[in-house]
Amino acid sequence: MTPMAVETPMTAEALATMDLNKPLGVNWIGLFTMVRREVSRMMRVPIQAFIAPWISALLFIFIFGAVVGSRITQIGGHRYLEFVLPGIIMMNVINAAFLQSSSAIYFSRFIRFVEEILVAPLSYVEMIAGSLSVVVLRASVTGVGILVMGLAFGATHIHSWPLFLFWVASVSGVFGLLGIIVGLWSKSFEQLNMPVVFFLTPLSMVGGVFNTVAMLPDWLRWLAWANPFFYFINGIRGSMIGFDETPPGLGIGLTLLLLTVLGVTVWRLYSKGYGLRE
Amino acid sequence: MPVPALKISNLRKVYRRGTVAVEDLSLTIPEGEFFGFLGPNGAGKSTTIHCVTGVAEPTQGTIEIFGLDAVKDYREARRLVGLCPQEFNVDPFANPRQIVDWMGGYFGMPARLRKERIDMLMERFDLVSHQKKQFRELSGGLKRRVVLARALVHDPRLIILDEPTAGVDVELRRVLWRYLAEINKDGKTILLTSHYLEEVERLCRQIAIVAKGRIAREGSKDEIAGGPGGLEQAYLVATGAEADHVAGQ
Repeated sequence: MTPMAVETPMTAEALATMDLNKPLGVNWIGLFTMVRREVSRMMRVPIQAFIAPWISALLFIFIFGAVVGSRITQIGGHRYLEFVLPGIIMMNVINAAFLQSSSAIYFSRFIRFVEEILVAPLSYVEMIAGSLSVVVLRASVTGVGILVMGLAFGATHIHSWPLFLFWVASVSGVFGLLGIIVGLWSKSFEQLNMPVVFFLTPLSMVGGVFNTVAMLPDWLRWLAWANPFFYFINGIRGSMIGFDETPPGLGIGLTLLLLTVLGVTVWRLYSKGYGLRE
Repeated sequence: MPVPALKISNLRKVYRRGTVAVEDLSLTIPEGEFFGFLGPNGAGKSTTIHCVTGVAEPTQGTIEIFGLDAVKDYREARRLVGLCPQEFNVDPFANPRQIVDWMGGYFGMPARLRKERIDMLMERFDLVSHQKKQFRELSGGLKRRVVLARALVHDPRLIILDEPTAGVDVELRRVLWRYLAEINKDGKTILLTSHYLEEVERLCRQIAIVAKGRIAREGSKDEIAGGPGGLEQAYLVATGAEADHVAGQ
């Protein structure tokens, strides 16, 4: 170790920047650091984060485009692959968002480096915003990557870019928040995976990825209308190919409501220290 | 009267499962003090530190850091504190430079200032040749240096060191002692917990001994360690270990 010498003095400018008497506004640097840190963690597992969903989507495009799709009649004037691809994008956006936030919060609790955030001058809103920013980033890269593949293979097109981006960002926000709740609640990796197995995968599969509501038997249609995943998948499909089965504004309203309710819930959990503080 | 660096009043901490870790603990540490916080395992030292730094939620009582309420004004209060915890609460796949850099970022330090400060700390703690290795690959002593550098990156006014030399070799311990004495001389307030009484005796001017969640004895080092048997005897008596020992004979 270096012999004790005179410590490098902090510059006057630096001291001014760190003026401790200055009231704290938004801690933008802290917020950006949360993003940098999570991006660095995410980039340690690029295959898991991006390559796996892209390969799986590519296989879907191949199977529904070249193998099965050609034998299925058009739905609402669209080829079957065109109909299915938005749902595949949404399923991957949901998975990416949920896995990113739940594993990030759980891992940081498990190893206890969440304490680095707890001892820092970050507000609860900043902590949540920092986590969600990375969630939206990962989900968007995943979703847009699949979209690019779809466009490259002539398997889809975009009806409305603003709506497409709205659905990717808002749904990833919903599942990012849900992932935070699960990450705070989980006491084991088993519990962390439970919602994916029992909730996310089944509900997205029956949420209209592969079929319209009209294709379901009458007695089963309520299941689609009661399934929030249906509105997300239907919404992104509307933004991509213009095929929409719900009344205008219903899906957007529901998504914004879910974002608000989950946002307030997560904020309450953070302020109570649930799963975070001893 | 000057504002104390740390003022804890009637702190009580009960964990969710009902364990009372701290029971009516009060403590005042003036600015610039080097304060030793002693006690057996489970006495409530780390819990008290966790309540001060925001890792744990106090059940009752108040904590003021340079006059700021650690619960109500938590953001402002936390800017002033650096914590070197007992356990390595670090992302094991990150490297020392990243670990220290992220902590500086959380505290709102601009990139240029972070770099300057990290360069200094890496050099100071002899981490330059290890700064790109994953934390999990480092030896225990190197890991301890990293968490110490992390605690100091934002140049805090109150430094809390929870057994910083546990598992550290003699050389590093001595270097660390010199460094701590130096920054204390520069005006930093230091709260140190340790099981090495020699360390506390060498560094601290004020000492509190905590037992069963309460302050059992508090005073200047001369006062506490000056009696027959020195600090060790005072510690054993204050914590009840001496009485237990006699009763067991």
